[in-house]
Amino acid sequence: MILKFFASLRKEAILMLRDIAGLAILFIMPMALILIMTLLQDNTFKALEENKIDIILVNNDAGELGQAIEKGLDEADFFDITDSISDKQVTAKQAYSLVANGKYQMAIVIPADATSCIRNNVTKQIASQIPDLAEYIPIDSTVKSEKLDIQILFDPITKSSFKTSIQSALMQFTSKIESQLAFKIYGKIFKEHLEIDVKEPENFGSLITFSEKYATNEDSRIIPNSVQHNVPAWTLFAMFFIVIPLAGNIIKERESGSVLRLKTMPGSYSAVLLGKISIYFFIGLIQAALMISIGVFVLPLFGLPSLVLGSNFIALFAIVAAAALAAVGFGVLIGTIATTHEQASIFGAVSTVILAALGGIWVPTFIMPEIMRKISVMSPMNWALNGFYDIFLRDSDIYGIAPYIGLLILFFGISVAITYLYNKYNRSIS
Amino acid sequence: MTTQPYISVKELCKIYPNSDTFAVKDLSLDIEKGEIFGLLGPNGAGKTTTISMLCSLLSPTSGKIIIDKHDMAVEVNKIRKIVGVVPQDITLYPKLTARENLRFFGNMYGLKGKELREKIDFYLEEFGLINKRDKRVETFSGGMKRRINLLAGTLHNPDILFLDEPTVGIDVQSRLVIIDFLRKLNSENTTIVYTSHHMEEAQGLCTKIGIIDKGNIIATGSPQQLISSHTDCESLEDIFIKHTGRQLRD
Repeated sequence: MILKFFASLRKEAILMLRDIAGLAILFIMPMALILIMTLLQDNTFKALEENKIDIILVNNDAGELGQAIEKGLDEADFFDITDSISDKQVTAKQAYSLVANGKYQMAIVIPADATSCIRNNVTKQIASQIPDLAEYIPIDSTVKSEKLDIQILFDPITKSSFKTSIQSALMQFTSKIESQLAFKIYGKIFKEHLEIDVKEPENFGSLITFSEKYATNEDSRIIPNSVQHNVPAWTLFAMFFIVIPLAGNIIKERESGSVLRLKTMPGSYSAVLLGKISIYFFIGLIQAALMISIGVFVLPLFGLPSLVLGSNFIALFAIVAAAALAAVGFGVLIGTIATTHEQASIFGAVSTVILAALGGIWVPTFIMPEIMRKISVMSPMNWALNGFYDIFLRDSDIYGIAPYIGLLILFFGISVAITYLYNKYNRSIS
Repeated sequence: MTTQPYISVKELCKIYPNSDTFAVKDLSLDIEKGEIFGLLGPNGAGKTTTISMLCSLLSPTSGKIIIDKHDMAVEVNKIRKIVGVVPQDITLYPKLTARENLRFFGNMYGLKGKELREKIDFYLEEFGLINKRDKRVETFSGGMKRRINLLAGTLHNPDILFLDEPTVGIDVQSRLVIIDFLRKLNSENTTIVYTSHHMEEAQGLCTKIGIIDKGNIIATGSPQQLISSHTDCESLEDIFIKHTGRQLRD
């Protein structure tokens, strides 16, 4: 049995190494796919995650409010701000035109007397709160505007989430300035009328902090991106594409009559099949190692983020091994049931593409319609992809991905069991 | 007390799935140890079906096959250990070299190491293929492939060798090498059962002939016995034509 197994293993390895076209399909095609698809989908993924909003800022105010808004928008790291074109300050009219032409999604126009206006409004509010001192609180009568009006110009196609983001940010900056002004005015009143020194608070406006943390087991800060999706996705596609050469190999062996000779030999044919399964399983592992290496080392050379693997390499190996087993089991099943090479090639390719599409390889399941998301759980590629996501994005350990590994091994077991029963049935009727 | 023949076939029948006719019907024959038994018949007579059942590739619909006192239905693995099979088609891996093919099939029969390597080189030398041992089989001529095909089934020195038309479609030189090799094997006490269309070859090689038509043996005996019992026939071919007719059997 062991001798047969190793003989089969050796034979398959030699045949595989001599099949240059087959090797190209198994290794070069998925490498190209990973590179092309990751580059193609990079912007789409960024839009889904953390794409910055291009805005024009027309700051006509030389005071604190204008500066605070400018600084705040800049520090928010959420906006790409343009305030001049060809070294010339953008005017409100130009900003309107640029947004109207769709060149920018939005523009913010801060009026010239914005700081004076807000200061006057705050002063008026304080004066109304302390009527006894109202006559001592100076109100700037030169300020024309009664109410501060910061204009936000939107392109009609701007997403409502973007509008909300910018409005919230502006609200935050103006509130901070309002509070600061109120403190200053109260300080002045306290000093002039109560002879008490009031110091301006340090770290104004930072009494409450918001800490962001990913709900993972470890303190990981991995953000899903096109690399994190495409590398495991196309790795799995390549691993399942092994169905075609494997099924073809089984059919070729059957058509050439070698199987007939093998079946007249003592012992079980299973050892020969096991050798075949082992070599293709090993190829699956090599494919995964190569594709993941591309994600880590090659994609950054194209300006893409490097693939972050998480910290559980045992879990990573386990999901790769389980996916390779599932793919090989499927290949053996198709190779056994298909009667011709053409049948196996067409069915193998089509079924792999369908399983990939359903499994979220082409389009990630999280942007699929609800009905497709429900259907996607039937694809073994979806189980494996979810396992990869859990390891890369949630830093799951082997226990966390055990359900996916279990499903993939079950898929392999069922495929091999059907193969065995089919062969047994065929022998009984032949 | 009667001695059991080395190969005993009793009332063997075979109907293929989705067919309502017998490919082999009530076929019985006995082959003694050390014989070269030639199964001759026109196309579709049932030669390949019979030999496929004898080498355990096909299950009979009914009937019994006993080989070296082992019932095929019960002890098929014991039979497989003493049997070598040379199918009609070239059942080799075209992308492997001659030596790699023989090594693989040798391993499948449990041969390994130095013993196997020496055996392979010895036979390749015998068959005039030693210089081609590291060439891929896909580059070989028909005759060379036939010789390797034969070697792959005989490396383990089987007690019984089943051959299905081993000399079909090859040049005279290759055929002579194969025939000489079969004679040599037989002289070393290997029982040989083979099918052929080649009457002259069978007449010269076989110790016993069975003419099969429509799934049944219609004449059997040594070539000499057959010829002497058919006074109107001068050769095995005449007997064959007499029994199977001149009509085409495509």
